[in-house]
Amino acid sequence: MVSAKRKRHDEEGEHVSPRKLRTQVIEDDVLSELEAQTPSRRGRGLLQENGTPRSILKKSGLANEFNNTPKSNRRLLFATPTKEARDETPNGTPTIVRNADRSARRKSNRRLINRAINGADSDGEAVDEEETLAQQILSDNEEEEDEGEDTEVPVPETPSKRRPGRPKGSGKNQLASKARKERETTPPTGLPAHEEYFWQNRPGGTKTSNNTLLAHSLLNHDEFFEAMQAYTDRHEPEKEFLLELHGRAYDQWIFELEEGFNICLYGYGSKRAITGEFTARMYRHLLDQAPYKGTMRTPKIVVINGYAPGITLKDILTTIASAACHNSGKLPNQPTSLLSYILDHVSKDPPTHPILVVIHSVDSPSLRKSPAPAILASLAAHESINLLCTADTPNFPLLWDVGLRAQYKFLFHDATTFAPYDVEIDVVETVNELLGRSGRRVGGRDGVGFVLRSLPEHARSLFRILVTEQLALSYMDDGDGTEEEDVTATPKSKKSAHRNVSEATQGVEYRTLYHKARDEFVCTSEVAFRTLLKEFHDHQMIESRKDAMGTERLVVPFRQEELETLAEELSGGDAF
Amino acid sequence: MEHERCYIYSPSKSDERPSKRQRTIKLNFQTDLSARLDIYRKVWTQQETNIQTTLEEADSATQGQIIDFVATSARSQDELQASIQTGLIVAGPSIASHGPYFERLGRRIRNETDSSYIVLTSAESPNLKTFLKNLIKKITSRTEDDEDDEGLRNGVVSSRRGPRLLNFDLGHVQEWLKRNQVQSIVIAIQDSEAFDTGLLIEMIDLFYSWIDRLPFVLLFGIATSAENFEDRLSGKSLRYLDGQQFDVTQSDEIIEKLFRATVAHPDAEPHIGPALCRRILERQKDHVQNVQDFVHGLKYAYMSHFYANPATIFLKSNPKFSDFSSDAFDAVRNLPSFRRYVEEKVEDGNTRAVRQLLDSNKALYTIIEGFIFAAQDSLSSQNVAAIVLTRIRESLGITPKIRLSSIWTRAASGELSGSPLLRETMLSIRKTPSDELMRLIDSLISLTTETIGPEAEPIVIPIDLKSLRQELTALVENNAGSEPLRSQDDVRNESVRTTVVAQKVLLSKHKAALTEQDKAYSQIVTRFCDDLGSYFRFALVDPKSLPLHEIMVYDLRSPHTEVFQPKPRLAIERALATPHDYLGCDCCGVTQDGENTLAATQPATAILYQLYLESGALVNVSDLWSAFHAIMSKEDEEDESQTMALFQRALAELKFLGLVKPSRKKTDHIAKMMWKGL
Repeated sequence: MVSAKRKRHDEEGEHVSPRKLRTQVIEDDVLSELEAQTPSRRGRGLLQENGTPRSILKKSGLANEFNNTPKSNRRLLFATPTKEARDETPNGTPTIVRNADRSARRKSNRRLINRAINGADSDGEAVDEEETLAQQILSDNEEEEDEGEDTEVPVPETPSKRRPGRPKGSGKNQLASKARKERETTPPTGLPAHEEYFWQNRPGGTKTSNNTLLAHSLLNHDEFFEAMQAYTDRHEPEKEFLLELHGRAYDQWIFELEEGFNICLYGYGSKRAITGEFTARMYRHLLDQAPYKGTMRTPKIVVINGYAPGITLKDILTTIASAACHNSGKLPNQPTSLLSYILDHVSKDPPTHPILVVIHSVDSPSLRKSPAPAILASLAAHESINLLCTADTPNFPLLWDVGLRAQYKFLFHDATTFAPYDVEIDVVETVNELLGRSGRRVGGRDGVGFVLRSLPEHARSLFRILVTEQLALSYMDDGDGTEEEDVTATPKSKKSAHRNVSEATQGVEYRTLYHKARDEFVCTSEVAFRTLLKEFHDHQMIESRKDAMGTERLVVPFRQEELETLAEELSGGDAF
Repeated sequence: MEHERCYIYSPSKSDERPSKRQRTIKLNFQTDLSARLDIYRKVWTQQETNIQTTLEEADSATQGQIIDFVATSARSQDELQASIQTGLIVAGPSIASHGPYFERLGRRIRNETDSSYIVLTSAESPNLKTFLKNLIKKITSRTEDDEDDEGLRNGVVSSRRGPRLLNFDLGHVQEWLKRNQVQSIVIAIQDSEAFDTGLLIEMIDLFYSWIDRLPFVLLFGIATSAENFEDRLSGKSLRYLDGQQFDVTQSDEIIEKLFRATVAHPDAEPHIGPALCRRILERQKDHVQNVQDFVHGLKYAYMSHFYANPATIFLKSNPKFSDFSSDAFDAVRNLPSFRRYVEEKVEDGNTRAVRQLLDSNKALYTIIEGFIFAAQDSLSSQNVAAIVLTRIRESLGITPKIRLSSIWTRAASGELSGSPLLRETMLSIRKTPSDELMRLIDSLISLTTETIGPEAEPIVIPIDLKSLRQELTALVENNAGSEPLRSQDDVRNESVRTTVVAQKVLLSKHKAALTEQDKAYSQIVTRFCDDLGSYFRFALVDPKSLPLHEIMVYDLRSPHTEVFQPKPRLAIERALATPHDYLGCDCCGVTQDGENTLAATQPATAILYQLYLESGALVNVSDLWSAFHAIMSKEDEEDESQTMALFQRALAELKFLGLVKPSRKKTDHIAKMMWKGL
């Protein structure tokens, strides 16, 4: 947790610096400080990129790097010969001077150093030695010091201005940062939408607590359904009324459909109740009409549940074909040829009334993919097919370009129902996925243990390898993370790029895992490896993903803490 | 059923009950509905034929050229060809109208030339193999599909003519060509931009290698420019093509034509109001640029007019008093314009007549008949006036060029009478020399309605144009000089004189002495202008002032905008941010300062959404939960699991709506995806 703590402080430090600059510009007495500070921020950037600050300060070469710029500034301010000498020394005395005057103990140090410098200008060796010493003192001291001050350390102070300037400045900064914090806790209200966007996305604006949900506070399926069954919505009558309002439009919709338009319903809430009622109404309406009245024949209305996971175009088209085409010949296999088969059929032998196709959630992920909207559009464009769609997401019109939109011939109706999406969403699963806890599916860590216990020894070793590898990767990721958090002030793009990388590298590469497993004699061939993996897959203990490059990655869907415990138990050997 | 992917609907027993309840509600409103819809169908069928003819006419010129091109290339097929005849059809950026265009083109090509015609789109052609399969299937109109693949699997099935061909072998086409003698095979590539360049090149190579056996003619639909198309192809492929460019009438011009034929047509009935019209045209210009959409908009306006307005029953052709129910008369009595009319009558003290109108349907019927006739008349003459004004401006070449659609919209909203536009036009007429005036009068005499099939009717303007024309001809014939006659208002008859008097510059206009003929001409011009002015004054009325204009003019934006330009995101945001707007319940109302406050009574998702709105780009779910819990748990403390269930459901719904996504930055954090109101 050390790293996390550090992260936070560093972040705060970063927020301080721009503001600090501003305050100091106003307070124009510390020009030198300002000049000296700006480069130091850059220095910090370097510093973080190379790891923890402490270790870097020890490395004279790097310290030199980040002190280069201040040196030049100083030369402008104090053109004393000693400065020239100092500049020659590779390690820029500023660090020494600045750092050494922290305490009484350092005062003596400083005197020593000063003497050394003044006495033996050309003696680079001596200076270096002293410097190393000073830096060691500094780094020791740093450990004791408050983390908050840590950020101030690299700021090169001029000896002369130190006493009046430095504490004043830092005091200001603290005040400023405090003020800022207070302001942050109460976000401005009544901002216009775009201002709010920028306010909420401002660099460093995303500060959230580290609280996590307790492991068992989220309900599992049984608990969820039990709780929902006991729950009664106080808005039932209003929702009923909304439904009834929509119900008044059914005749109008029938008219619109008859005139060759297609209908798309949108708005918040599950629209299944509406479509259900409307389908029934349409069904009776058709029953009253010519080809069905007085006969046993019934009109055919196709209902498609677009939200159903894994629904394919073939399912849809086959069902439509079964409704549209009477001869039960062999249907083509490919969706496109199936489509043209249907269209051919309805053009040649048009049904007495257009076939109504009801599609729930036309914007569901499985119907968003490339050929689906175009194929549905060409279906909808045909005059013998009527479409009644519901769309749930707010931005669904983006699915269709002008051409498709014209083909669809949609009339849009707001059908807000406030009804819960009971069928459309698997609530528990969605929330688990959202929070990265899909491992709960297996029944958590215990479930994994249970499965592993029933598996042979080498399967257990394979799982252990996978878990440890994933943990190792995520630690590496965390290293990146620290660094990334520190540079909050850098442009957003860099940050997001970082995040993408860490997201993409989640999980262990299939190849790597195979090689590791072979090296540890867990399996001898890829076939055996696959067999072992399949068992895990079957129990949903691992997930396989494709990253941006298309390489397969295997992921154990647990959070880090759980993984750690798992790894411990697995390597303990006798746990399972 | 709800967990099945697709199924055919079959009613369940429980569905029967609610229907009866609903049937009672709609009874009185729907009485004349079917009669009204009959009128609608009649009216619209006529409009639709108008539209169809207009559309076909609009691109008949280009299509004629293309057909000629196809025909000539078919004729030259006999000698060996060095390249494929290619037509580059620059159809403009409105891709939505390309499909219907190629359909119409295909109909004409099939009818008028001896060739087979097929259209291929990028959607059916992901690669060369599928492209060819589709092409062969369409040309030979074969229906079998997968059998060839099976044949392939079973080993090569040989037929009489050697081994059986694969289903993407152009040999099929060759065989087909032997049986059906056509002069050329026209292949239209509808959206050439969407095709993979590699595919285009391969395709051209392949067609070229078959050109000695198969008489291909290629037509490329191009949305950008022919240059752009050429740039995509390699030099080699370009050498295989012998191209000719055809420019299709752009959609905005077609829409202008359609507008003439439908909305601004003098016989249009019912009329579309200016506000709706402006909206349709704006949408055309800014968003869709698509002829079909214009037609749909118009159709929907007609539909809504007859569906929702019970008084429209009086638009019936050959009406008889017995055709109308008392409901229809009551509907008329409730029209605002009728009320206004009655109130005026009452103010005039004519209470008896009013009483009669209110009591007797018969009396009302006579007055309705009169009103409808009068309204029809004046609306029609207004349309004519708009057409005349446009024609005058066109004929005189007055800039800026204003289209009929905008002139019409202004006329229909009653803004045109006495407008600067009209004044400017009249002034320009006064200044016209005789030859131009002659042309203008001629064009006005020959003015007809938009030629719709055979029934292009001459437009009659109540001005004696013929006699004016005769006088003018006589005058011009007597004119010895080669110069045309000028009116007194012509600038050329004026000169400006500057005199310096006591160091002041005096400007004085000086009218040149007019010849006798010029004077006579000036008189004619003045008379013409006066007539025209009084005509416009008479014809341009505000339709809103006509009694019973609600029956004649449909000008409601309300269903139209929502139906064609929905704002789904706004609807969802509103439902979640202020659920009271939809639910209308007592419990989660709006506080006095108009701001909606979070209350435990609101739907869970709405509460969570409002919390979500307040949070930053990254949301800690744990904190979100405690906030949610704090709001919800005010009443019942006993069990957390129900609140948790609601929380989970709300969170899942936000995810379902795409408002949040998982974040890997921190544990138990989610990322915000949408900002309200953006």
